[in-house]
Amino acid sequence: MDVETVKERAGPREFSPKDDLPEEYRKAATRMIQFHANSEIMGAYLERPFIRQAPSLDRKLAFSAKVQDEIGHGQLLYRAAESLGIKSREEMLDELANGEGKFLNCFHYPMESWAEVPMIAFFVDGAAMRRQATLKRTSWEPYAHAMDKVCFEEGFHVKHGEDVMRELATGSKKEQQMLQDAFEQWWPRIIQFFGPTDDQSTHHDFSADVGLKTMTNDELRNAFLNAYVPKAQKYGLEIPDEPRIRDNGDGTYEVVEDDLDWEEFFTIAKNDAPGSHEQIGKRSRTQEAVEWVRSGLESWEHGEDTTAPQAAD
Amino acid sequence: MAAESDRLGGPAELADDERAAVEALLYRLADDELVLAERYTEWQVRAPTLESDLALANIAQDELGHARLWYDLLRDFGYDEADLIFERDPADFRHASLAELPFEDGDWADAVVRSYLYDVAEQLRLEALADASYPRIADRVGKIQSEEAYHREHAQNWLERLADDEASLKRLQAAVDRLFPHALALWEPSDHEETIEDLGLRTESLAAMREQWFDTVIPFLRSLGLEPPEGVRENPEAVRPATIGRDGDHTDDWDALHEEMTRTYRELGREEAHKIMPDPDEADA
Amino acid sequence: MIWEVFRQEDAGEYHTHCGNVHAPDREMAKLFAQIQHGRRKPTNSLWVVPKDEIGEVDAEEAAFGGTTDKSYRWVMGYKDLDAAFAEEVAESESEQEDADRASAGGDD
Repeated sequence: MDVETVKERAGPREFSPKDDLPEEYRKAATRMIQFHANSEIMGAYLERPFIRQAPSLDRKLAFSAKVQDEIGHGQLLYRAAESLGIKSREEMLDELANGEGKFLNCFHYPMESWAEVPMIAFFVDGAAMRRQATLKRTSWEPYAHAMDKVCFEEGFHVKHGEDVMRELATGSKKEQQMLQDAFEQWWPRIIQFFGPTDDQSTHHDFSADVGLKTMTNDELRNAFLNAYVPKAQKYGLEIPDEPRIRDNGDGTYEVVEDDLDWEEFFTIAKNDAPGSHEQIGKRSRTQEAVEWVRSGLESWEHGEDTTAPQAAD
Repeated sequence: MAAESDRLGGPAELADDERAAVEALLYRLADDELVLAERYTEWQVRAPTLESDLALANIAQDELGHARLWYDLLRDFGYDEADLIFERDPADFRHASLAELPFEDGDWADAVVRSYLYDVAEQLRLEALADASYPRIADRVGKIQSEEAYHREHAQNWLERLADDEASLKRLQAAVDRLFPHALALWEPSDHEETIEDLGLRTESLAAMREQWFDTVIPFLRSLGLEPPEGVRENPEAVRPATIGRDGDHTDDWDALHEEMTRTYRELGREEAHKIMPDPDEADA
Repeated sequence: MIWEVFRQEDAGEYHTHCGNVHAPDREMAKLFAQIQHGRRKPTNSLWVVPKDEIGEVDAEEAAFGGTTDKSYRWVMGYKDLDAAFAEEVAESESEQEDADRASAGGDD
């Protein structure tokens, strides 16, 4: 199939591993899904300390389950990416550990206090779920299938995040202040989650033309703001003055792009921010530390009994 | 089930020594599960493969769920979760040292060996509680047992596979050398052991259960080429470490773990622990 | 090694493909599949199958059901007879008509 045919046929779940797709499509889809899979894994690094630090046993259980789900989503997504025939899961995991793999901007920042938890668990997950719901209609069928299961599970994450936020918002003055501080710190990053406005985005056109993406950055950001700004206000959060966001009154918003730090955003996109080095370093160290297990399993799989006496060489 | 006449009543009907014995038993059960699970959760996002990450996370959640059931029975005695976990003096915890020991980054052999030694013990312990004279304990055993089979199978499968590889076998042996002595702490009696036995809170003595445990773990480890500490069966006391946890004497690592576990609670100045799930009794009703 | 996983939600239903797991052998694949694919969705049974052991024949290589007129195999080939006299025959007829419409409609 050539690119023109792909563009003509592009539609929800239109293409599967049986189709003979041009390399351009397979590479674009791999880039997008690999990014998504990497983000599931790297987000879990931010959240894992709070399994231990959760202030109740039930919250600890919910956190552990949530982090577990994120790894499960990574598993599903690497499979969807692998089925494009460009890279194996192993290659993608190696790229993640060696700093070549890209992932969401929000996961390049440290998360230190419990009050920051809802910033990821409610707002970022909520934003992600908005985008994921639209990806049930992506043209790469294995990706759409993964989205079915991810969205099925993810509802609990957003509600868990909201529950943590509600508890803080209705808690002591100190808790409310901590929540507001965290919100102010994270809000611009959350707005940047959707990337720059459409006229600045480079990969969008092709991905949209071949049906990989079904909504533009602006449309997604609008849909997110429509649902989540009222939620933030409901819990008494004050929306920071910057970035300035104009409500057009018709369900759309305009974000004043100059109020956001795009230099930081693009440094992050190159995995070159201090937080990027920190998070990727963690991934790299922890994966390296268990390399011996993977190679042990490898020899088991191939039936090499390395404990048997061997002839001297 | 224990004969009707031997069954104990609820907390209000217990004599002081009976009450102390039930509490001592429950603290050991609950604390073991909680602290072991804390160590397992350290593997989340760090396990060797995505699949093994999911599996160990699941085991951790199972154990936390068991801890929740046992702590819930302590609430019958007037304690709440804050008293039981978040505001409790770390020196009052009664878990075995096996549960609290830290491990080196990437030491998956630790996870596998620790889980194996613990889960075989857990099986014996649950069997001995199935006919407990305190009905609230006996009633909860079945639910826990049905999750334990996976844990043992998981640990054994990993041991068998890693033991097949020479380099991995060495790591497993190092984990056995380090953890086996601390697993003996699981069988250390509390001051209330006599009452526990007399009342039939458990239908086996710790000494008898330890023998059964040896009968299972020693031949299995040997079949894989792993050697338990020399003379452990004949003279366990000689192998037993100085710090066993059971008596409230813990390693410094436990203090650090407890500090981290309760950090948010303290930072926020909380006075109670938030619940998401209904009370286990209501959930069963 | 990659194992494809098939889940059955309730006893008696078909096993439906739901994803894969990486595992060194069948036992480990079963252990991992239980968690990755049986943990959240309702599950009665799982199959794990080595990916390389799955043989496939698809519509590009095979003419499923043949290409010449085979209407003699179908209720629709007997239009002048009314199936309404027996409920089970009528039901079979409507199932066949549905299947026919679905295959005529292509991938939708």
